Amino acid sequence: MTTPALRAEVEAFLYREARLADEFQLDEWEALLTDDFHYWVPAGRLEGEPADQLAYLNDNRTRVATRIRQLKTGKRLSQLPLSPMRRVISNIEVSDPGDGEVSATANFVIYELAAQSSRELRVWPGHVQYRLRRVDQTLRMSAKWVELVTADIGQRNLTFLI
Amino acid sequence: MAIDYGQLVQGDRIHASLLHDPEAFAEEMEEIFFRGWAFVGHESEIKSQGDWVTRHLGNESVIMVREYDDSVNVLANRCAHRGTALCWEHRGNSSFFQCTYHNWRFGLDGALRTVPFPDGYSKPKEELGLDRAGQIEIHRGFVFANLDGTAGALSEHLGAAGYQLIDRLCELSPTGRIDLSKGWIAHRVQSNWKLWPESDSDGYHVGFVHASMSASTDTHYDEVAVGGDAVSSSRAVDYGKGHLELDWRPSYQTELSWLGVNRDKVKGYCEALTARVGSESAEQMLWDGPPHAFLFPNLFLGELVVAIVEPVGPGEMIHRHTSVQFEGVEEGFNQRLLRQTEAAVGPASFITSDDAVTAERIQAGVSGTRRSWAEENRGWIDLSRGLHREQVDEAGTRSSDASDETTNRGFWHRYLEIMSRRVSM
Repeated sequence: MTTPALRAEVEAFLYREARLADEFQLDEWEALLTDDFHYWVPAGRLEGEPADQLAYLNDNRTRVATRIRQLKTGKRLSQLPLSPMRRVISNIEVSDPGDGEVSATANFVIYELAAQSSRELRVWPGHVQYRLRRVDQTLRMSAKWVELVTADIGQRNLTFLI
Repeated sequence: MAIDYGQLVQGDRIHASLLHDPEAFAEEMEEIFFRGWAFVGHESEIKSQGDWVTRHLGNESVIMVREYDDSVNVLANRCAHRGTALCWEHRGNSSFFQCTYHNWRFGLDGALRTVPFPDGYSKPKEELGLDRAGQIEIHRGFVFANLDGTAGALSEHLGAAGYQLIDRLCELSPTGRIDLSKGWIAHRVQSNWKLWPESDSDGYHVGFVHASMSASTDTHYDEVAVGGDAVSSSRAVDYGKGHLELDWRPSYQTELSWLGVNRDKVKGYCEALTARVGSESAEQMLWDGPPHAFLFPNLFLGELVVAIVEPVGPGEMIHRHTSVQFEGVEEGFNQRLLRQTEAAVGPASFITSDDAVTAERIQAGVSGTRRSWAEENRGWIDLSRGLHREQVDEAGTRSSDASDETTNRGFWHRYLEIMSRRVSM
């Protein structure tokens, strides 16, 4: 059952996750993840079997660790300097499917400045599905699936945590 | 004033104005993408009759469609009546193409079938078909088209090397056939299209642009490309006609390095390949892996990735890629190729995203240069690396150390051959 307390806890989690991603607080962001975390940004809608599709990004826990390690090398050209960016998340819906995890969905818009090259302001609107799980009393994220409004037409560099 | 390509493209340097000049861009679309051969797509994308995909050849939107007789057609995505684009999706299946403006209906062969209220027309229908590619040729499923139909045979364009590069990729599949139907991902980059053939075939930058990748994960590029001639024996090869390869084969230290696994992880694949080609050939192929090659003007055979270089404007392009899938492999094998593709290529990848930002920085660097500066010795881009140690074999193939700019020079040499044919108006 979704109680107001659960909803408040989930919202706080999502806002924190968003802020850590915006600010490239990579270790803190990574600490939010479960060991079986799945990160997926398909080149279309959030449907079908992720493993069988060619996606923008389809990270298991090992792959996302590599992604973070690469950002932390200080040599990742496409994030040198880091993109100044802020996201707004809204339309949050929380549900408890009763399988030990909490589901949440939200809409988001990210404003990102391509400070590394053209200085273009890049706008990333989309929808996100989260799966959250309680580990040692605190919520962790076991899945983040992101559906971009522009999924179908291709993207500029997407080398931040979306 | 007409562009003097001979002045702007020299043996060891090219003028930066060619990377942003709108006039040069317009002439490239005409001479290279309209009058020449270019890669369109792969037959596996349109397996059934009526299957179609949309693509761009230069600035021209086209439809590649499987006809009722199983042949492949490349049609202009433009109604012959008033110019409306006919297809909006990336792919689909239709028994005809119908314009949404006045419901003109065209067959899969591009012929006009029906129009509403036909009594209003005295002109014969035969004169109102869709524009189509003048020539289409297919090699191992790779569909090439020449829009204006005057480019000569594909064999003249590809040369023996072009066919062999495609063959080397396809032969690695247990059946000798690959499938490219997993869909294409567009990486939108704020650069001139010509920067990507260079980047895709440049062996010099790998240890610098991709230092963060080497520092965070093990890849075969550490073995074949990083460290220059001190550590690798890879070769930069210019086969002529703008077809280029970074030949990693001499540098591999283990079999299957290109796949990033040991044989026991892909036993079924190795056995299936051996069953078709014999153990001696299979041993060699499993060491050599697929080519890392560029076929002029727009096809990148990026080992287990195939990409199309798609010009959009003088400072805007798309690098569009898909994952190679093999036929006749065990479950999970092709998923491995999908995950490998995602790691290597695309907006969120570990590799080509850093190439994209590099291309955008070049674009920023060159955007103020002017054609007239060429005479004043300003705004040149140097491509002389390795010129003194290049080797030429009896077939005319040039090769040098993989960090040398033999491939870059090969691209621009072909560019000049084509662009200098242009008759000044």
